[in-house]
Amino acid sequence: MTGESLSADRSVELRPKMVGKPIRRTEDPRLLTGSGRYVDDITPQGTLHLALRRSDVPHATIRSIDISAALATPGVLAVFDASALEGEILPAIPTSRMKGYYATPIWPLARGKVRYVGEPVVAIVAESRYAAEDALEGVIIEYDPLPFAIDPYDGAAPDAPLIHEEAGTNTIISREFARGEVDRVMEEAPVRVSGRFRMTRKTALAMEPRAYLAEWDRRQRALTLHTTSNIPGVIRDVLSECLDLLGNRLRVIAPDVGGSFGGKGSLYHEEMLVCALARKLERPIKYTTDRLEDLTATSQAFEEVMDAELAIDLDGRILGLRADVVGNIGAYSIYPWTAALEPVQVVSFMPGPYRFEHYRGRIRGVLTPKPPTGPYRGVGRPSSTMAMERLIEMAARKIGMDPVEIRRRNLVNDDEFPYRTASGIIWDKSAFQQCLEAACAKVDYPALVRARDAARAAGRWVGIGLASYAELTGIGSRISVAPGMPINTGVETANIRIDATGAITAAFGIASHGQGLETTLAQVVADEMGCKMEDVQVLHGDSGLVAMSSGTFASRSAVLAGGAATRSAHVVKAKVLRAASILLDVPVDDLDAYDGVVRARSANATLTFKEIAKAVYSQMGRIPREQREELTASETYDPFFGTACSSTHLAMVEIDPETYGVTISTYVVAEDCGRVINPLIVDGQVHGAVAQGVGAALLEEIMHNEDGQILTASLADYLAPLASNMPRIQIVHVEADLPATIGGFRGMGEGGTIGAPAAIANAISDALSPLGIEIDTLPATPERLFRLVEAARSRSAI
Amino acid sequence: MKPALLSYHCATSIEDAVAALAAAGGDGKIIAGGQSLMPMMNFRLVRPSVLVDINRIPGLDTITLRGNRLGVGALVRHRMTASDETIRSHIPILHGVMQHVAHLTVRNRGTFVGSLCHADPAAEMPMMTQFLNGTVHVAGPQGRRQVAVGDFITGSLTTDLASDEMVYEVDLDTFPEGTGWGFHEFARRHGDYALAAVAVTLEREAGVARRVRLAVMGLDDRSRRLAEVEAALEGEAPDAAVLDRALAALQANITPNGDLNASPEYRRHLANVLAKRAIADAWARAGERSRT
Repeated sequence: MTGESLSADRSVELRPKMVGKPIRRTEDPRLLTGSGRYVDDITPQGTLHLALRRSDVPHATIRSIDISAALATPGVLAVFDASALEGEILPAIPTSRMKGYYATPIWPLARGKVRYVGEPVVAIVAESRYAAEDALEGVIIEYDPLPFAIDPYDGAAPDAPLIHEEAGTNTIISREFARGEVDRVMEEAPVRVSGRFRMTRKTALAMEPRAYLAEWDRRQRALTLHTTSNIPGVIRDVLSECLDLLGNRLRVIAPDVGGSFGGKGSLYHEEMLVCALARKLERPIKYTTDRLEDLTATSQAFEEVMDAELAIDLDGRILGLRADVVGNIGAYSIYPWTAALEPVQVVSFMPGPYRFEHYRGRIRGVLTPKPPTGPYRGVGRPSSTMAMERLIEMAARKIGMDPVEIRRRNLVNDDEFPYRTASGIIWDKSAFQQCLEAACAKVDYPALVRARDAARAAGRWVGIGLASYAELTGIGSRISVAPGMPINTGVETANIRIDATGAITAAFGIASHGQGLETTLAQVVADEMGCKMEDVQVLHGDSGLVAMSSGTFASRSAVLAGGAATRSAHVVKAKVLRAASILLDVPVDDLDAYDGVVRARSANATLTFKEIAKAVYSQMGRIPREQREELTASETYDPFFGTACSSTHLAMVEIDPETYGVTISTYVVAEDCGRVINPLIVDGQVHGAVAQGVGAALLEEIMHNEDGQILTASLADYLAPLASNMPRIQIVHVEADLPATIGGFRGMGEGGTIGAPAAIANAISDALSPLGIEIDTLPATPERLFRLVEAARSRSAI
Repeated sequence: MKPALLSYHCATSIEDAVAALAAAGGDGKIIAGGQSLMPMMNFRLVRPSVLVDINRIPGLDTITLRGNRLGVGALVRHRMTASDETIRSHIPILHGVMQHVAHLTVRNRGTFVGSLCHADPAAEMPMMTQFLNGTVHVAGPQGRRQVAVGDFITGSLTTDLASDEMVYEVDLDTFPEGTGWGFHEFARRHGDYALAAVAVTLEREAGVARRVRLAVMGLDDRSRRLAEVEAALEGEAPDAAVLDRALAALQANITPNGDLNASPEYRRHLANVLAKRAIADAWARAGERSRT
């Protein structure tokens, strides 16, 4: 390499990049000015509206359904029960290779029996939603009640009434992860701590509830579904089978989508229903859930009981962990993730970011007559991290060690990566230790401890809690996102083209629903291609864009789509440079592209991307026929394994010793998400996810009574965090060694919900430690704290 | 979650609104801010055949001081109550209470009188109307009548109002300068309905509390003044012994409910905590007055 070209390369390196810049989201002008276009904003001429009569009993045989009064309601066109849909659509089967698993078939409407309060039974099609709702009470359903067990321990008993008789059991999920000799280690360990930890049922609570619009094109014999889904590609593929329509006659579009947090990440009864009805009636069919339906019939989260025990030595080193987890998975296994997604990951991730040999984690997933559980931001890890991080701090307290020090001694060190956890997950190198140190440095941990001790001496209930965790993100084709799930979510395509006007379009299989991927992927493309960011339009959320798509979930899109974008942009850029080389008569090695202009390093010659595109496509003869190339590329990226994203959260709380209200006074997140594409967006993801985690820790709980009826059926009862519940969140981005992914990106959209519940549970436990109270159930409501304190006081009074 | 079919009448005067209610044959409903009514209509828990909109009736959006009473018209929004200078100076406790009422968007629409008529046992307006000896001004087909708040609120979510009547104003006590006040409320989130709340006012004369008022809400099916607690504080300085007697009286006179957010035992506990705090605040805020 000559000195000259070296300096030229250096000058290229010094050019400002888009990746890393805090660029404001290009989506926001439309979303914040009311110009977004959500499913419910789309109403083609002739649209019919749907209302659903849902089951009001938890488990019963349907004896009869009388729809005559409903049919006679003004504005009603048709009323369907399952029998009226026979032959219109096949069920979706959430298959898995897991041993002992039973895949509950998913039909649009309940057939023969109902299995939870809220399950759709009868569909009313009317000229307006008002008319459809008017007809709801005209539907008369007679049920023969069936016995049921609402508690999963009862449901797992051999003589329990079965939710799905075909399964032969309610325990459709059983897994065990084991390494070493945990029972012996437990027996011999000098220090053991244990608890029965409960993460109660939650819901994802997106601001936009689920909505679906299906249109049947009689001319093309083709169906278009507009859906609030974050997995439009997966939905296209499964509906293709259910409806027997090939992909060229079935298009699934997720337009602007107002959040999912996992709740819009599965196939729903209603999604199947609008498609079947639109084809049958040859009219557009729209269905929008209201908030009541969102709270009763969108997939819910967690509801796990975790019996967990940790063994350490007197130096605070972890010797072993064993856990027995029972998940109340609800009435169905959902498509495509299955009901194993959440509970199995509780035990596969419970060893966390720590180094130890001996482990056994068992999980049972039990069917009960409650709404199905499904993905929820963080999947499995909010629960597993809560249990593990509680145990870590309980152990530290028991041996009188600082909770930071005990983590320092057990977190996997830099020289130990790649590290295979006791459950078999492989962590690539990530800043486990550095995040812990960075969080402590940010808040001046020793000073914070002194402040806590001073407050405690003055009679105040103040506590500090931490949570360290790692999650697997950007998962490639080597590992299924859900256990034994047969569909591939490990590959992503970027289809990039420069058209004859010089416009750049980058189409993906992802489906951004709040992540700002139109901005971040344009940043990546602009850097790789040397074009202007504003010339790049990112298309996503449409099954028609690329041959195989899945969507946005499991912290995959920045890693997989970012990698695919890099590859395709690289190919297109090479084509642009080759064309420019011919047009300028300059060797291709002498050219580079930046900010939409191709420049020769050694000559005063430039061409814009637009000029090159015109020359290639529209100006005959400028490029010799045999050298002409389309300025397009469609490359894929499969990271094969995936990459760890690690973080430490640190919270300080104060509890009012009389009312038991909890205030979070300090909150810091130190995280390693690899190369930060856009710090504004990363910060936004952290803020939002921590808020969701605060909700899980202090407020949110879906409650059902013994009769299977939901008690939290409105937002007056299901309490989401408000701005007034939120602390100022400090964030430290630890950009340590970049992972081996293209671009060095790690996924980071979920982490806040993983760390916050554990950190807050630890901080509250620390605040209450003078009373000997350990938090084992979230949310830690004032009522629960009241009971814990009363019990502790009556214990000490004895 | 769509309301059932209804018709809509935009009233131009109180008489017009009352006539529209009468014409509805017992099936009409007044709408002012609609912050409780609309959700109930969407759930179809309430199905008025006619919605009588009073928002265009002139003169109802005023707060008027008349001697030692203060009138609050039927279109006074929570935001106006919260920011009104006359209320701040003449009923400072009401000004303080308003800081706990709902959120910005609700405050911009919801009305004092509407909340009173809704009679939620965990809402501040019914409680404060009782606390402030409110008189409810009612218009009906037979003319106008005035009802003491104690007779107006008949239970949880129920009032003495007939189906063809509307409340056009409430008038409330004001306080002499120097009256001490305390209001403490506990809710899961700021602005939510209270799990419990306690309001106290008192004057301080020659080292003792006089004209003590104390009310609770959120505990059971209605908010109420607690005469026994007031008596325990009246003519005393609230030292530890007096407080103990007052709190014993409080505990003896409440029968808290349990719900999703709080057990009866926790509500009982909260009642004591909030009462202690409210009494302490009121005592500290009260200006010492010479006996005249």
